[in-house]
Amino acid sequence: MTADYVSPFDERVRPPEPLAPRPASISGLRVTLLDIRKNRGAEFLDRVETLLQEAGATTSRVTKEIFSKPAALGLIDRITSISDAVVEALAD
Amino acid sequence: MQGATDGTSLRPAPELAVSSIDPEPVTIARLTAGGPALLLFVSEECPTSAMALRKLGPLCPALDDGGLSCTAIFEDPLEIALRVARNCGWAGRVVSQAPPYQASRQYGLISVPTAVLIGKDGSIVASVTGWDQPAIAELIRTVGADLPVPAATEPLRKPGCSSKAAIDPELAAAMASASADDELEEMFERGWTDGLPVIPPTTERVDRMLGRFDGGESLGEVPPSMGEATLRRLAACAVLAGCRPDYFPVVVAAARAALDPRFNLHGQAVTTQPAGQLIVVNGPVRQALQMNSGMGALGPGNRANLTIGRAIRLLVCLTGGGMPGTLDRSTLGQMGKVGFCIAEDEEVSPWEPLHAERGFQPGQSVVTLIGCDAPLSISDHRSRTPEDLAYVLAWAAASTWSTNWWPLTEPSVFVICPEHAAMFRAARWSKQRLREFMFETVHKPARELRRGETTPFVHAADPEAEVYKWESPESIVLLVAGGEAGRYSAVLGPCTGMGFQIVSAEVESP
Repeated sequence: MTADYVSPFDERVRPPEPLAPRPASISGLRVTLLDIRKNRGAEFLDRVETLLQEAGATTSRVTKEIFSKPAALGLIDRITSISDAVVEALAD
Repeated sequence: MQGATDGTSLRPAPELAVSSIDPEPVTIARLTAGGPALLLFVSEECPTSAMALRKLGPLCPALDDGGLSCTAIFEDPLEIALRVARNCGWAGRVVSQAPPYQASRQYGLISVPTAVLIGKDGSIVASVTGWDQPAIAELIRTVGADLPVPAATEPLRKPGCSSKAAIDPELAAAMASASADDELEEMFERGWTDGLPVIPPTTERVDRMLGRFDGGESLGEVPPSMGEATLRRLAACAVLAGCRPDYFPVVVAAARAALDPRFNLHGQAVTTQPAGQLIVVNGPVRQALQMNSGMGALGPGNRANLTIGRAIRLLVCLTGGGMPGTLDRSTLGQMGKVGFCIAEDEEVSPWEPLHAERGFQPGQSVVTLIGCDAPLSISDHRSRTPEDLAYVLAWAAASTWSTNWWPLTEPSVFVICPEHAAMFRAARWSKQRLREFMFETVHKPARELRRGETTPFVHAADPEAEVYKWESPESIVLLVAGGEAGRYSAVLGPCTGMGFQIVSAEVESP
């Protein structure tokens, strides 16, 4: 068909965000564990935190306001200022 | 080489399996009764066929007078053949052949146009493939040197198009696209749909939808993929949904409310819950758009109700990328995710309408967005006191969200039917009294709620402590709508864990 239509899509192409450099080793890293407040996410992070500490990382815990909303920019800024790496416990 | 007389001769001309407006069958004997016959095989889609019809058509009466009958044989339905012949000035006979184009096959056609000269004895004398003015002229002159021939104007020669009889059926099927000649199918191929057929958003339709709205204005980004909601894009969604242009101010207001960060559309659009976005319309715009707040108010039948709700959902699915199975991760979904818009029956309601309750003037037209689950019908034809009726309504909601998930913080929406509303009116119950009675009615000791899914609140509570279904009376929203007969109200369970607020927006025209 040759009709002229108005697209409901936002056709802008967004370049993908580059991945942060991968750490060569966990030992000595500052790792933040982000709890999004999804049910039992904290239990999962407890176990991950133990393993990270055994591998020589320094850990800290941060909690999002609510799982169903994007993290506040202030929280993201805080995490990036105190962390070399982040582990986020997602849902479902 | 195109258009050469091929020397095929003395082969008997096959009979023609064709239809025409002539009541008598068209046979080779009839066509050659007065002398030789010129058959011109053509097709509607072929520009070279049209050119041949234009150049030869006006000569047909003179050729016929000179003893050469002219017949255009179309590979198209008869009504199309007659229209094209008329438009091209073809003054000869017109016949039509249907698939599988038996006549074209029997004459060994490769392309159209093909001119075939049949002698008076019924045999094929010669044929010309494509448009070839010198070859056509030569063909005619073999019948009579003084017969008129097409003018020798450019282009003298032009290749034809494939005869439909020469197209391999399997190849044609493999190349076929459902959208090739069907704009509704094209919408599916473009992905501009929620699964139902849509109205194609042509620029003309979108411009009509926008009216005096500025299509370049942006309402912000639509989660979850954060596509920008320009009014032009929103108007495209409204066209796709089937809205009339006079609905668009309501669609704009609903989009403004949905995109308010307090509504947390982001969470609702991607959750595994069956979260729908209920649009409640209040004020005079309900009558202006002839919205249905009466019989079947939550169901099908009214264009404004159905398409306004669908336009907002198409905005989420298409502009926002929240299509089920992609970024929308809803486990089951619900039909409210196709579109969910109702009008409150303010005239039947014994109470102030929802928008007045939320601070607007009754004369304002307002939309209110509430995230919620699918309706659960509540039958009560036997209560004879408002207390009994309120008890039945409230306890019907006890299992919404989950049986033992108490208390609910997000709103539960009760749609009270007119007969139930009349009972509260007669007893002079205010909306707040009903809300508080319902809240006070539904409670259980914590120990009875400690089975399966329950809340941290229940786990932390003393086993004998009474836990209420709702956090407060304000978690109960009351609306009035429905048919005048039948005692069926409904509750729409909450969309929990979203931390959203109910958001209202006034309907404004530019």
